[in-house]
Amino acid sequence: MLVILVPVFFGFMGFAVDLGRLYMIRAELKSAASSMALAAANQLIGTDAAQGAATTASQTARSSAGGFQLRYDFGGTAVGETNGNLGSVVEEPQFYETAEAASGVEGAGGAEATGTGPMRHVRVSVTADAPTVFFRFLQQGQEGRVPIRVQAAAGVSAPLCVACGIEALAVAALDAGDPDNFGFAASTRYTLGYSCTGAQQPQPLAGAAQRLAYVLLNRLNEAATTFADEGTQTLRIGAGGLPGSTVEARSCVNVNAMETVWAAAAPLQCNQNRVAAQITSLLCGFATRLENGTYSGCENVAEVDTVVQAYQADTDVADVEDYLAYTGNGRRVITIAIVDQITDTTAMAVLGFRQFLIEPGANLTNISPLDNNGRFNSLYIGSQMPLKQGRISGCTVTAGPGKVVLHQ
Amino acid sequence: MNRRRRGAVIFESAMWIPIMVLLLMGMVELGRVTYTYYSLHKMLYTIARLVGTGSGTNFCSDQNTVQDTISFALNGGNVDGQTIIQSLQANQIAVRVERYEAATGELAVCECSVTGCDTEAGGRPPDYVVVSIPDGYPMRLAIPGLNLDPIPLRPQVRVPYGGT
Repeated sequence: MLVILVPVFFGFMGFAVDLGRLYMIRAELKSAASSMALAAANQLIGTDAAQGAATTASQTARSSAGGFQLRYDFGGTAVGETNGNLGSVVEEPQFYETAEAASGVEGAGGAEATGTGPMRHVRVSVTADAPTVFFRFLQQGQEGRVPIRVQAAAGVSAPLCVACGIEALAVAALDAGDPDNFGFAASTRYTLGYSCTGAQQPQPLAGAAQRLAYVLLNRLNEAATTFADEGTQTLRIGAGGLPGSTVEARSCVNVNAMETVWAAAAPLQCNQNRVAAQITSLLCGFATRLENGTYSGCENVAEVDTVVQAYQADTDVADVEDYLAYTGNGRRVITIAIVDQITDTTAMAVLGFRQFLIEPGANLTNISPLDNNGRFNSLYIGSQMPLKQGRISGCTVTAGPGKVVLHQ
Repeated sequence: MNRRRRGAVIFESAMWIPIMVLLLMGMVELGRVTYTYYSLHKMLYTIARLVGTGSGTNFCSDQNTVQDTISFALNGGNVDGQTIIQSLQANQIAVRVERYEAATGELAVCECSVTGCDTEAGGRPPDYVVVSIPDGYPMRLAIPGLNLDPIPLRPQVRVPYGGT
């Protein structure tokens, strides 16, 4: 009787112990794959170079630093490395245009999309051998290992209704009825210039045919204890977007919300030929995106050296004609609110968010923050780069930047 | 069946039963270790995702959302102080923030400074969040007759930071 019972016992123990371990290893691999997919998706900014950066980022996510690494099997084996007869393989991330293809819903596994449009989604697959103890005694598991395969898909979400960490500028839509681009032409250079009143509207800068008037939305943090100065606050917005805050109203902009202009930076008469000091410091912040250190002439902004040292210039600061050819890390991309109109600066309705790539001035390596009319050139790129944070629900926009989310 | 055969069966059973019981206990304990490790891992991943997608998370202060998140993860929202995993303390869980150094292509710990990740002082948010139990969660196996040292369980997770 014992002769019959022993294999049965081992079978049960195999199920109890080994199967539990297999499920646990699968969970560990899944979270590792999710981390890698999220890291890769963060880099999908819609350029030709983005896929390479995303692949690098997914490798960085599982690299070893300070003894920490993505691991599996009770934290004993590093993902992507071989330990004894147990191997694990992290496949090259695959890129897709749609979330369905990345999740493998469409067709058999979803054919890998190649080259036509910007890739917005990524899938990371990991195959790893799980060790078995009791299955060894059964016929199927005699090698002492079972391969487990997991995949994770991440990508850019649906258009956001609440965008956080963006640059709190507002530009009036050229055509409020155009849901895709609000009348802006893709890959076209516009001069963004601070709004002013009166007949003598400033000219666009060299290289651009049209000047778009912008205003700075009011995100003054009166409760701030560090960086209490208004100029320092706008400098930070310019350098890195709205600073993170536990108060959502301070770090985010909502679609359909009524916004007002930063009180101290209200548009002046055009013939005065000057902008408020807050706007100059805002542009000094933008200048950190193209050049390390404090821009010469921005020294008057309070605490400028402290703020500026936290930021590094873009890895590609060249003048680019085509956003696809841009090889930088997205530092130069600014996300701004598109409003219905800025003629009435007390209440502007936010229609959506769009992105511009800051361009260096003609024959310059940087913008000119000290420009009398707050002007700088930028390339309209639509909504390519995923935003840092935001929320999807609460509005009905059909196009616009999303954030990085995990699909599967 | 004669008396001698029956005696042999009883003797055989008596020999096997302790081994079987031990094996059974071992299985139960192994299952418990697996379950605990899984729960810890899941907990750390949840902490990492929660603090890694928040807004205005300050990694450089004691009184902040990071500690609140850890406390929340420990008891799952129960206010009576009952933790999900027995006797796991908040101070056993460590959150480490990392910054990607483009020059070296490696991850380095992000210091609490303006040039680091002290967002309160003007620094940028980190690039990666690592949550771990540095000293391990001591898991004691309850097998009668065996006095084993506690097994330290050391799950760790790293997720990219995706907040502001």
